[in-house]
Amino acid sequence: MCNKASVFSDNGYDIRLSGGDATIFDATSHALTNPVNGLNTRDLHAHEVGDKAFEQVFVAAPALLFAGLGPVFNNISCINCHRNDGEGIPTAGFSNSGLLMRISLPGTDANGGPLAVPGFGGQLQDQAVLGSQPEVHVNINYSNVPITYPDGLVVNLRQPVYEVVSPYTTLPPNCMYSPRLAPPVVGMGLLELIPESTILSFQDPNDANNDGIRGKANYVYDVYTKQKQLGRFGWKSNTAFLLTQVATAYQQDMGLTSYVQPFESAAGQSQMNGVPVNNKPELADTILNATTFYVKTLAVPARRDINDPDVQRGEYFFKQLNCTGCHQPTVQTGVDLTMPLLSNQRIHPYTDLLVHDMGPGLADGRPDYLAGGADWRTAPLWGIGLLEKANGVPYFLHDGRARTLEEAILWHGGEAQNAKNQFMQLSKADRDRLIKFIQSL
Amino acid sequence: MCKIEKIIFFASVVALFITSCNKAPVNQTISDFATEEQTVINDFVNNVALGQYSNLTNAAVSLNGSIITLNSSITETNLNSARTAWRNIRNTWEQSEGFLFGPVEDNDYDPNTDTWPTDYTQIDSLLSSSNPLEVSDIADLPQSLRGYHPLEYVIFGHGEGRSATELTPRLLKYALNLSADILYNNVQPLYQSWSSAPTNYAQEVLTAGNGSTKFGKRQDLFLAINGAMSDICEEVGEGKMLEPFIAKDSGITESPYSNNTLSDFKNNIIGVRNVYLGLNGGAGLKDLVALKNKSLDNQIQSQLNAAISSFDNITVSYEQAIYDQRTLVQQTITQINTLKELLDEDLHDFILTNVKD
Repeated sequence: MCNKASVFSDNGYDIRLSGGDATIFDATSHALTNPVNGLNTRDLHAHEVGDKAFEQVFVAAPALLFAGLGPVFNNISCINCHRNDGEGIPTAGFSNSGLLMRISLPGTDANGGPLAVPGFGGQLQDQAVLGSQPEVHVNINYSNVPITYPDGLVVNLRQPVYEVVSPYTTLPPNCMYSPRLAPPVVGMGLLELIPESTILSFQDPNDANNDGIRGKANYVYDVYTKQKQLGRFGWKSNTAFLLTQVATAYQQDMGLTSYVQPFESAAGQSQMNGVPVNNKPELADTILNATTFYVKTLAVPARRDINDPDVQRGEYFFKQLNCTGCHQPTVQTGVDLTMPLLSNQRIHPYTDLLVHDMGPGLADGRPDYLAGGADWRTAPLWGIGLLEKANGVPYFLHDGRARTLEEAILWHGGEAQNAKNQFMQLSKADRDRLIKFIQSL
Repeated sequence: MCKIEKIIFFASVVALFITSCNKAPVNQTISDFATEEQTVINDFVNNVALGQYSNLTNAAVSLNGSIITLNSSITETNLNSARTAWRNIRNTWEQSEGFLFGPVEDNDYDPNTDTWPTDYTQIDSLLSSSNPLEVSDIADLPQSLRGYHPLEYVIFGHGEGRSATELTPRLLKYALNLSADILYNNVQPLYQSWSSAPTNYAQEVLTAGNGSTKFGKRQDLFLAINGAMSDICEEVGEGKMLEPFIAKDSGITESPYSNNTLSDFKNNIIGVRNVYLGLNGGAGLKDLVALKNKSLDNQIQSQLNAAISSFDNITVSYEQAIYDQRTLVQQTITQINTLKELLDEDLHDFILTNVKD
């Protein structure tokens, strides 16, 4: 007998299980660092090898171990930016910095992606091994942007201003810049398994339902499969697969080549002078694969406080204001026979993985494949209430400008303008309830 | 129910009630347990956390002092004193890793001082460069060029070891300001982040479940403490010990220049015991567990002791033991993994079941 599956109601599901079977009950500062429960011995070992690799500091070549850092880089290990598997600190150029700057010229490259800047590539590396020169230094300053609610309360947002100084060689004047903060890495394997058709079904290019929300899938060139693929990862959905995401982070952020990204980020630049020539990938295949597997199998923390009446009321407003128009609460993952614990899961990522016009306040003016200069991917919200525990001080949005969830909401514009406006109309108590709901995720 | 049965039933209820009343201590026990929770928290903060970080500060002062002395008079005796001071601070630091949460993580004091491996290539470049090697310059370096292990490399040397006569002015200046960076930029701020404003993390822990912004419930705190104990067991048993053991590679041990690795590991587990038992006669988690489940307490205490004493069976350095005493190394790893399971499962469940506030 063949029954066509239909949409199940929420009844019978435990809504705390944000990642389905891949959920973990841990609300400590290490809540984002757990493997999916139930991995078999071999997979758990692979996860642990990846865990070590994720924390591993790399050093300049030549060295016996973990060699190949640089010559230019943004940081020296994954964990230095993705702190406790959470997010980075929005500073640039320090040992604990988690913000980097993408760069491109107007126009597109042969694959429709951002046009690299000669001498700099697509990302600015603001640190270098001794004897080499960083590409630039990035200074970050903030100006105050007061926002007044109809009830008279004022919130001071901070608007970042970036200054790119001390380039090692001339920077073209017409460069476009895009700051990006290292995001939390939980639940990535689940996001990779959401069927493409599901993501596409969230698009509403002509705004047929007249809610102001359109959404767009970003199709990007994948360097490993050498094909255009649906983008899922990164602040503009500009990377299709976790393997490519991890390999590109090793290459661009740390200067480590691999079988997926075999060329140095500084290839052809003067910083390569004096660096030992080594045509083999600096990163062992096993390390790249293990790190990818680690990220893929990080469990999503369970929700908390779901019976709190304020949280429940906050959820009501979250739906009422149509925050769910982009932050999709419930999605079903597809099937990967090698990853049964991630397959066919009813998950609550609170993202549609589409990019949306978020208005001029957040725009970087730098297109990335189909994502325009004001477009940003809907950030997954699972685990967001635990960032303060994981990271001490939480930061939100693509450049970490928001210090609270309230500030993050108030930066929403464009397709989210209606939701933001309605949020501002709520009473203080109800605004707090909505935020408390988000904190429970 | 017939009449006689009703009478018996009623009598039983009354009897039960009276018995309960005679026992009475139900409420009493709850309040005792809650009081004990706070006592354990207070003593953890004052004796273990503040105590250990205060010891760490003193050890960092001694280390810095010993390098200053070495710098002014380069003798084998002074070099040996510096090595002793280095080993001393490693003991205290590794023990403090029994509770690796809070500012030590949030403010990067751990990776700033305890990053591994050291970057030889860049150390050589650094020493031959024009970098002034002042404290502020050290603080700007990548973490692989800061902290205990580059200092270890300077004062112990690689391979054959280092004699005082090999200490160049640049090496000495690097050592001097590495030790100052440890003291002034990391260890002192770490202690202050617990002891005083603006962070005053001690206060956050002390008020868990009672106004703390970090720990809404005491249960959150106890889970965090247990999680930290379990994490260091995992790091030692499944990482730092296991990897060189499987690879049979003494080049990837934690403190390869000083051969201090075995002591590092043992001190990590002693750090776990300090948290569980408490220090200086104060209360520890053991007192809370013993109130409700003495058998579990016995089990944890005995496993802690078994794990710690198993290190003493290894009679050579860890760098050598991974080749020569593999059975003994495996036994220690197994003991640590058993301890971790006890913490992850039994103690974790105990906290969930019993710490409700």
